[in-house]
Amino acid sequence: MADASLAAVAQPAQCDPDAAQRARRQPLAGRRYALEIRQHMGWQRQALILAIAFLVGLAISAAILVAAGVPADELANEFVMQTFFDGQNFRAVLFQAAPMILVGLAGSLAFRARFWNLGLEGQMVWGAIGATAVSMWQVGPETLRLPLMFAAAIGCGLAWVLGPAWLKIRLGVNEIISTLMLNYMAANFLLHLVYGSWKDPKDNFPYSPQFRAFERLPELGAGVSSAILLAAVVALLAWWLVGVSRAGLYLRFVDANPRVAHANGVPVRRTIYGAVLLSGAMAGLAGFAVASGQEGRLTQAFYQGYGFSGILIAFLARNNPLAATVVALLVAALFVTGRSLQVFYQVPFSMVQLIQAIIVVCVAASDFFIRHRLRRVGAEAAS
Amino acid sequence: MPNALELTGIRKSFDGFAALTDAHFEARWGEVHALLGENGAGKSSLMNIAAGLYAPEAGQMLVDDNVVRFAGPADAARHRIGMVHQHFKLVRPFTVAENILLTAPPPADFQSHGERLRGISRDIRNKASELGFEIDPARRIDALSIAEQQRVEILKVLLAGARILILDEPTAVLTDHEAARLLQTVRGLARTGSAVVLVTHKMADVKTYADRVTVMRGGRTIATLEPGATPVAELVKLTVGESISVQGFQPAKSPRGAVRLTVRGLRSAASAHGRRVLDGVDLQLHAGEIYGLAGVGGNGQGELAGAIMGLPDGGSSLEGEIRLEGHGDLKAMAAPERRNVGIAAIPADRYGLALAGSLSVAENFAIGRVHTGRYGPAWHLRQGRIQEDTQEAVRAFDVQGVRSVAQKAALLSGGNAQKLVLAREFGKSPSLVLAHSPSRGLDVRASAEVHARLRAARDGGAAVLLISEDLDEVLQLADRVGVMTRGRIAGEFAQPADRQVIGQAMVDHG
Repeated sequence: MADASLAAVAQPAQCDPDAAQRARRQPLAGRRYALEIRQHMGWQRQALILAIAFLVGLAISAAILVAAGVPADELANEFVMQTFFDGQNFRAVLFQAAPMILVGLAGSLAFRARFWNLGLEGQMVWGAIGATAVSMWQVGPETLRLPLMFAAAIGCGLAWVLGPAWLKIRLGVNEIISTLMLNYMAANFLLHLVYGSWKDPKDNFPYSPQFRAFERLPELGAGVSSAILLAAVVALLAWWLVGVSRAGLYLRFVDANPRVAHANGVPVRRTIYGAVLLSGAMAGLAGFAVASGQEGRLTQAFYQGYGFSGILIAFLARNNPLAATVVALLVAALFVTGRSLQVFYQVPFSMVQLIQAIIVVCVAASDFFIRHRLRRVGAEAAS
Repeated sequence: MPNALELTGIRKSFDGFAALTDAHFEARWGEVHALLGENGAGKSSLMNIAAGLYAPEAGQMLVDDNVVRFAGPADAARHRIGMVHQHFKLVRPFTVAENILLTAPPPADFQSHGERLRGISRDIRNKASELGFEIDPARRIDALSIAEQQRVEILKVLLAGARILILDEPTAVLTDHEAARLLQTVRGLARTGSAVVLVTHKMADVKTYADRVTVMRGGRTIATLEPGATPVAELVKLTVGESISVQGFQPAKSPRGAVRLTVRGLRSAASAHGRRVLDGVDLQLHAGEIYGLAGVGGNGQGELAGAIMGLPDGGSSLEGEIRLEGHGDLKAMAAPERRNVGIAAIPADRYGLALAGSLSVAENFAIGRVHTGRYGPAWHLRQGRIQEDTQEAVRAFDVQGVRSVAQKAALLSGGNAQKLVLAREFGKSPSLVLAHSPSRGLDVRASAEVHARLRAARDGGAAVLLISEDLDEVLQLADRVGVMTRGRIAGEFAQPADRQVIGQAMVDHG
């Protein structure tokens, strides 16, 4: 009976003759339409709908910016020309993009295992703390210092998500709460360090002493940091993991239906642990990319906003690693543009977050058109 | 005296499947009227229509000899019809009084929430003592036993004003003592003039407590009788249909082999009030035979299948043993290992356990064998080989409607989805096949193909455990028949078995 009642809920139009009639009685825009649940849509049309939603989001954002005092004819110039075709600004975008790509990938991977890792910032903080500890305590010879910082960042990020993963898988503790709360612990511990024992003795500002030259991610030339190369390599590894390896197939089954996965011999727990720990490791690397690639030291608020951006990137990219890389570049461009708007037009930086939110809402709403279809009822009556 | 409730010529289908084709039912004021039939006979669908949950496609409904149409359960409640569902509709963290307040008619004048709660609590206590039991309105639902929750459900519909009371399989979850108490309460209600509809598959309840009985089979009403004047054998025959069992039964070509699977004393953890879903299952399964396990649904079949497949829920709390010859106790084995030792499973819940509807046909096929390394090492899936294998299997098992192996499995029809499961599970010759309701929801042709595959597996030397609520299916396929009731094997029968005897064993709870 459960099956039958489910069918009744899922397809009201088919089993309830009144539904069609009711729909006919509701005119929309002067014509009569019926709303149906759509079973399937090709990926090309899905991509088209997503692109339209993205453009609608941009249009609304542009309208708000114009209302905030940015001249309309300057918008395209600021957003597109200045950002992507000006060498210096494009370098700034790449500079900004490296940690953005890493947190986006971290989000995508965890979400693929149905694990809502909202602790990206906390893991990022710990990644940066781990890397800085290697610098502070001068672990290893100079040539090995950077690889050791890299490894420490991975280890610390991974360790910070291990607890929530264990609690979720063993005891069913909601990971949304546990990862989110651990962010505050990580952030306060960071403050404890930069205001306390790790404070730079030179000028007493709340940050760690400057990293030595060999502790910083090298420049690739033309002012581009190797952090972006690191992010690109991690993106390729993530793509290989979810698209090429056997673990990717296991992840798709865990994502689609954990019970089906289990019954078909997928090692569900190991798959979830693997994806979540890798997610933590990538977030840790993002912390390393900021500390060693951008700031050159541990600062007190470097992580702010990355958690939300990571979730947003993963969501917009539908957890696809390559798409996440592209979206991260766009978000980074938005950040850079936002900063120049701030300088030139006194638009507050929170406008950038508003634009992010508008685009997310538009894309999320577009899902409705992927899952439903509006059909003209008149056409049906004629056939 | 007018009929309390009358339904005539009711038709209803779900997604193309006709649940009710021509159903009739009438209940008089002051009687307990039993509605008898096997699973899937359409009893619950018909009563859900009477309670306003479903809209019928054809037919007429009368309450007190007036034609009615319900837009929803609230409408039915206004016509004083109330239904207690098999799965209770209670908000578990709420108290008894809060749950009942949810459906109580609003008061005529303004009352604060506290006043209403106090008022309803008083009504609950009065009504309960009228019915002969006690209940604390301030207790939370999740602190109550199943029998107490059921009383809350009954109070809920009565306090909402119901005079036509529909109880869907009310005794299925109760102990014998609790069931007897409930049915006496229900008789008391009928004596005060209410009409009570008792949806059930238990002959004993019908004989003892019902004034009249209506028998349904295959979406139709077969007969309405006086249970006192009808022998039980006649009722069983009407319920399960004429004997057509021996048709189509094909015994194994060669004698069965050695014991392959031994289940001994399998018990699941006891619930809060001492009931065990699996309560000492003992069975032996030989190579080269089909063992058909018949029984009314909900007697532990799903849990037995889950225990053999190694599903996570309850797996660790099982007592007893499930020994696969040559591999020891299965309980110590994780689900992936069980696949490796040659267990093939065709679960009843196709999209809940067998297939991931949102993934492609090829992915659903490959998941069965990917761990063997056939599709490349862990770091590289060989997509080409997966596609070739899937295409071949789709052809060999005649899975229709696959335009491309990259299409979603959810787009396949029921029969073709099941064939895809068979193609995956029978691709490597299994040593033990677990098939749970393998032809549920399939049309005749697809069922016949599924059955042929099961026979072929048996003739190839596999031990086949067929769990089915469809007695026809069991009698057609099985070399031996077992009957499962209340979490244990109540009896075993050699083929050709007497359909009446098995039907009787299925409904006896002694």
